[in-house]
Amino acid sequence: MSNPLAYVFSCIFVLLTHGTMLFNVFYNGKYDDVNAVFVLMAAVIGLDAVYFVILPFFKQQTYAVDFMLILILNMGLIFQSCFGGVEFRLKHFVTVIAALVACRVGYFACRDHRWIEDKRKLIWICIGILMGIILLFTGSRSMWISLGESTSIQPSEFIKPLLVLACATSVTEQQKKHKLLCFNVVYENLILFGIVACVCLFQWWCRDLGSIPTFGAIYVSGFLLRICYPKGKYSKKPIIIAVASLAVLAVIGIIVAPPYVRDRLFVDVWNDKNGNGYQQAQALIGIADGGWFGKGPGHGFLHNVFAYSSDIVFATISEEWGLLFSVMSVFVLLMIVAIPLVNPPRSYYHGSMCAGIAAAFSVQMALNIFGSCNMIPFTGVTLPFISMGGTSMAVSGLMAGMLVAAQSPVFKAPKKKKEQKKPLPAQPQQMQPIPPQQPQPLPPRQDAPSQPPVSYTLTDRRK
Amino acid sequence: MKSIKRCQHIITLFLSIFLVGMVVLVIKINREASFYMMNSDDHRLGMVYDRRGDVLFDGTGRGQYTDGYFTDVGNLIGDDKGQMENTLVAQNIGYLNNYSFSSGLVEKGGKAAIYTTLDHDANRAVYNAYMGAKGCACAYNYKTGELLVCTSLPSLDVTRGYADIDNMESGTLMSKVMYGTVPGSTQKVQTVISALEIMGRERLFSKTYSCTGSFVNAEGKNIDCHQSWGHGDQNIQQAIENSCNPFFAQLIQDSDMPLDRIKSQYEKLGYAINGEDMKYFDIDGIQCERASTTLTDTGDFITQWGCIGQGDTLVSPMQLMMWQSAIANSTGRMTMPHIISKVTDVDGRVKKEADTEYSKQLFMPSTASTVRQMLKTNGANNYGWQVPGYDIGIKSGTAQVKEGAEENALLVGFVDDEAHPIAFCVVLENKYSTPVSAEQILTIMLNSLCS
Repeated sequence: MSNPLAYVFSCIFVLLTHGTMLFNVFYNGKYDDVNAVFVLMAAVIGLDAVYFVILPFFKQQTYAVDFMLILILNMGLIFQSCFGGVEFRLKHFVTVIAALVACRVGYFACRDHRWIEDKRKLIWICIGILMGIILLFTGSRSMWISLGESTSIQPSEFIKPLLVLACATSVTEQQKKHKLLCFNVVYENLILFGIVACVCLFQWWCRDLGSIPTFGAIYVSGFLLRICYPKGKYSKKPIIIAVASLAVLAVIGIIVAPPYVRDRLFVDVWNDKNGNGYQQAQALIGIADGGWFGKGPGHGFLHNVFAYSSDIVFATISEEWGLLFSVMSVFVLLMIVAIPLVNPPRSYYHGSMCAGIAAAFSVQMALNIFGSCNMIPFTGVTLPFISMGGTSMAVSGLMAGMLVAAQSPVFKAPKKKKEQKKPLPAQPQQMQPIPPQQPQPLPPRQDAPSQPPVSYTLTDRRK
Repeated sequence: MKSIKRCQHIITLFLSIFLVGMVVLVIKINREASFYMMNSDDHRLGMVYDRRGDVLFDGTGRGQYTDGYFTDVGNLIGDDKGQMENTLVAQNIGYLNNYSFSSGLVEKGGKAAIYTTLDHDANRAVYNAYMGAKGCACAYNYKTGELLVCTSLPSLDVTRGYADIDNMESGTLMSKVMYGTVPGSTQKVQTVISALEIMGRERLFSKTYSCTGSFVNAEGKNIDCHQSWGHGDQNIQQAIENSCNPFFAQLIQDSDMPLDRIKSQYEKLGYAINGEDMKYFDIDGIQCERASTTLTDTGDFITQWGCIGQGDTLVSPMQLMMWQSAIANSTGRMTMPHIISKVTDVDGRVKKEADTEYSKQLFMPSTASTVRQMLKTNGANNYGWQVPGYDIGIKSGTAQVKEGAEENALLVGFVDDEAHPIAFCVVLENKYSTPVSAEQILTIMLNSLCS
């Protein structure tokens, strides 16, 4: 750990935030039994403490994402435990832990970009397998696999991080162009397009239309970073063509959408506030009722509305905690996504991975928040790290782990035998040789850009 | 590093779009929160006051009022029960919301209120003047547009609720002032305006037509005069004072009055002609029907009968009154009426204040001056003793309704007084079966307003 003092202060900041929220619950919350508050306090503070003790064992360049993650996860736990009356939600607590574990998994899986990049074909296969699982196990045109009376998982959620990884690319891959008809194309880009098209069509088939914009956003970010990479500046033509194609696809999508989807897309919530617009109308009323500072934890009425803890969770939080606090919570989410702007990723692969995650999170947040507030059509997707839902929580944690990996990567030197076989240009430009099997922290971040390239420039490669 | 920055640009792009969305969302919620709360089952309404601070609607439900306290304006002001949509409260209920995003719902002490231009005492006096008869009356300041009186009978006391709704008389739940009625001979004012616009003052005043009690028009149908022995030869001033139907039938049939010009002028006045879609104008959210008539051919009975003010022609009393403002001001532009004087929010801050607005030019100022003088002459010659003490321009009308089974009395006009610039319209239904005349109601209304 390079700066223990900063680590301690960050811990205090997180504990203070959670402590303040818990005191608010204690003094202003609605509960029948005060023990419910104490259990919640013990769970939140206990999880914070355990996390802060364990975290330093993972040698990372920065822990910023981790602190933000535990901050928002426990905030979400407090929110969820207060909806309609304070009661510790064990199920959500378990999903919070699952998200933290998934974060570690994502970190370990992605910190070596060469390793994960080599698994590209495996990722494609996994996406195919997931679609097969959905096809075989979710029943007719559904998106859930039931694991019991009250438990089910949504396999399509797992496609998101896989698609992020599939869309992420490195410098090397974008140089492998082939002549196809009269175009120079990268085969991988064509394959990726096919995968995304399949995923979107599949989502359409199983009526999980709300996820399509998220998949689309992941692909768009990957697509932009792929087509624009080799040149010194963005190529306008492909971008214009891509945007126009997307617009055409969106229009076609709306035209051929099933009637119930079109009804929901264009519903006037106030004229149909007891029908298709019920959730949005109630959500907006709840936000208005809460005002800036909320009615107090547990004092809202939105817990009587369907999907109050998932699809319209932003409104439920606003009602009980106030719009100000709910917006601040969203800013914590934004900061998680924005951390790659402060701590730049160390490789193009990690950078494009971060962009895909930013696209996925921001589109998902937009769909959830703006949809429930009637600014855009209501699609019923979850708010990352806050909405109730194990699958969503685990996948969000996994993607947060991928962000951690991008800021604390491990670059392993290729084995000697392979080095002899392969020509020099095959090495990544930012590679920092270190002894194998001994992950070491990189030098301070600000030094990285000043390191001379190991092998070549882009111009050299094209030659 | 440049390639990494490109990744960061993409991240920035997505986050920026989301951030802009969040800013828009917060602004939207802050601005529309009051509307959202009005759609909630839980809301606190404020008050509606008249021009002197008298209560016209009590949204708190805590006030004590005598029986029938609000009846005179019951179907204009309405309530929040949803039974009457075209009312001030129903259309402006958002203004009455004792709620703000900062302070939430205010149980007591909220100052959200609508201050109207109405004079509750005058409305009550007019309501009582009908003595149980049906009809409606309206009056407004033709200089400022402030609506002073708007009473429609039968009416209801909204504090009593709607338990007896099945036994309520037809027209109880609507302000008749806002809906079309057969205008009778008050329509002749619009016909004179059209004739003046088409052929000019000199030419119109040079024309004389003879009335023998009945006129057979080009179609071979009779247009009868209310004076069966006729009025003899008359000019336009005499015809308007006599309200002579044969004169106006001959005027419409005159070659100097081409149909397209009549249509054009009627359209400028705001008529929906020959079955056009009904149009409305808005008075602080309350929809008021525009006039409609049928104009097929100048020789047709239906056209002549319509221009005389019978048959298919329908005009709301509000619009009849508004035309009078264009005449009284000698501008040819109507002063648009308003009911809301100002609106205050939950903290008592003024949210909205009324401005005087005018319509587009309906006819030339010279036409307005001529008609103004004609109506004033009519008032001086024929109404001086019926409506004493006021220098008024006036035109009466008798509308045949229910296929001639009943006749409604109408009076439209204005008071030529700088201190009391009032335009008015009085409708008394089934005038032969009522203990009161339209002139008496008008006198009481003017006395209440000018006292």
